[in-house]
Amino acid sequence: MKSSGSKPILQAENLTKHYDGVQVVKGISFDVKKGEIFGILGPNGAGKTTTLEMLETMREIDGGKAIIAGIDVAKNQDKVKAIIGVQPQTPNFEEKTKLVELISFLASCYGEKVDAIELLKKVNLEEKANSYPENLSGGQRQRFSIATALVHGPKVFFLDEPTTGLDPQARRNLWDLVKEVRDSGITVVMTTHYMDEAEILCDRVAIMDEGKIIALDTPKKLIKNLLAKGFKKEQHVEQADLEDVFIDLTGKALRE
Amino acid sequence: MSDFRRAILPITTFVRIDVKRLFRDKVAIFFVFVFPLIFLLIFGSIFSGDNNVSFRVALFNESESEIATELENQMRENDFFQLDEDVTTAEQAEEKMSRGQLDATIVLPAEFGTVAEGQQNPSGNLDITYNQSNENAGQTLASVMNSVMAEINNQFVDTSVPFTVTASSTDTQGLSQFDYTFSGILGFTLLSLGIFGPTTVFPRLKQRGVLRRYKATTLKIWQFFTGNVLSNAFVGLIALVIMFAAAVLIFDLNMRGSYLNLAIVVTLGTILLFGIGLAIGGWAKNENQAAPISQLVTLPMMFLSGVFFPVFLMPEILQNITRFIPLTPIIDSIRLVITENASLLDLGSELGIILGWTVVVYLVAFKVFRWE
Repeated sequence: MKSSGSKPILQAENLTKHYDGVQVVKGISFDVKKGEIFGILGPNGAGKTTTLEMLETMREIDGGKAIIAGIDVAKNQDKVKAIIGVQPQTPNFEEKTKLVELISFLASCYGEKVDAIELLKKVNLEEKANSYPENLSGGQRQRFSIATALVHGPKVFFLDEPTTGLDPQARRNLWDLVKEVRDSGITVVMTTHYMDEAEILCDRVAIMDEGKIIALDTPKKLIKNLLAKGFKKEQHVEQADLEDVFIDLTGKALRE
Repeated sequence: MSDFRRAILPITTFVRIDVKRLFRDKVAIFFVFVFPLIFLLIFGSIFSGDNNVSFRVALFNESESEIATELENQMRENDFFQLDEDVTTAEQAEEKMSRGQLDATIVLPAEFGTVAEGQQNPSGNLDITYNQSNENAGQTLASVMNSVMAEINNQFVDTSVPFTVTASSTDTQGLSQFDYTFSGILGFTLLSLGIFGPTTVFPRLKQRGVLRRYKATTLKIWQFFTGNVLSNAFVGLIALVIMFAAAVLIFDLNMRGSYLNLAIVVTLGTILLFGIGLAIGGWAKNENQAAPISQLVTLPMMFLSGVFFPVFLMPEILQNITRFIPLTPIIDSIRLVITENASLLDLGSELGIILGWTVVVYLVAFKVFRWE
């Protein structure tokens, strides 16, 4: 992570969005630092996906301002699209199309030619190069979707609930992949409603509820603040939980 | 890479992948290549050859005159009549006619062909009965028999007829009805390729969020459209080649015109019809929205463009409308190229209407397109 003094790569100022007169995002502001994994947490319906989609140019910004790498999102949609990568909640691709073909088409959408096999290697799918997306497992599909989002070398990468519905092995594998993406210098903004995921993965998190950000800090700091208020868990925390048992018994290796 | 090459890269990449994708999809192959062939075989065998019309007739020859016997033999040998030998009584004939198994009953009465008292020449009256539900066949038969009788009369009475009609086909090089029908079949194929394809595929892709994924990239609508149009035009030309080969090999299609002109006309037609499908499928959010509209657009076009019955049989108002329906100039120009070796200049007004529609249709398609 760069020092907190450097200029943020993404600035959201007072963003609002309403559907049919109901305000679902109520004037939220936050900065994302270059090279961090920024998490947007919250229960279903909190406005996480809507916020993400406004930043991705996929939804119109009703009020407020968003700036990514110095570019105004609302005014320069194409310039923003060229420097961001997008991972939708449920990635779907055209059927009967080889993974290498999908990658070269998505790269061509940005006017780029890429080495598709090289990209597939990065997400550990090179042996699936000639498979069709409908024959991939859930985890493989998420990994493939990440590869397609990185075809044009974006500066910021948005992921919407990337591990929903995945088994523990696939989740861990995806976490490693997201960390690798961050370590390669790409800023990551992701939504999730899994707290363990946010705690392990995110450098900083914003917690949203009912269209507002109600807390924003590093996971450690947020926990510290809660404990400082005198919070105590009712039960003594075990040194392991059922997921640890599951991973211990079944191993970390991917099953697909 | 230059800006231009970057701009056409998604188009060329899409066409390459989209054509491969089609050939991997058995269902698509069936609908694009096999189904039109089946359609061609069915309609082709109905309309192939020009002397294939025949009538199923029960003949009761009650006369023993030479003329009656000769007439019966003639009818038995002529392909125009299919004599039903199973029918022996008038009741049977009537029943078969009411069930549509017979077109008509012809009776040569006992006195037919005999010389009546006080007359020099033989005479007689031939009875044709037919069911009311089969009036067309009955009346056609009656007029055919009338001219047969007139011919016989000429043998006996030497008269000079002041007014006569000579009917002959304008085309002396022997065009079969199939040559005319083929352009309609081809037009229908282009219509189903162009409209049923995108109106089912695009809404399905939208519902799965596939097009939304493209919206997140810098892909422009015009690039996406161009890629789709080119890949569809390419597939349309392949379908044309297959159908053309079948038409020539199986139905002896008589190709008079230039293959280049035919390819140009078919390509322009494909682009226009695909634009209609693109407008509907690009607008519709799901198949429930797309299906009724594509029916609403295609059905009138199929029936009013002369695919299934000739335009000249329609009321005059409809004929005037018909001329301006997108499918009509496509079918007309295909037919004119095949049967009359029309040049692109000859087809000026047809091509003008096609191009006009193309501009309108694509403007609408751009306007209403939605990625999701």
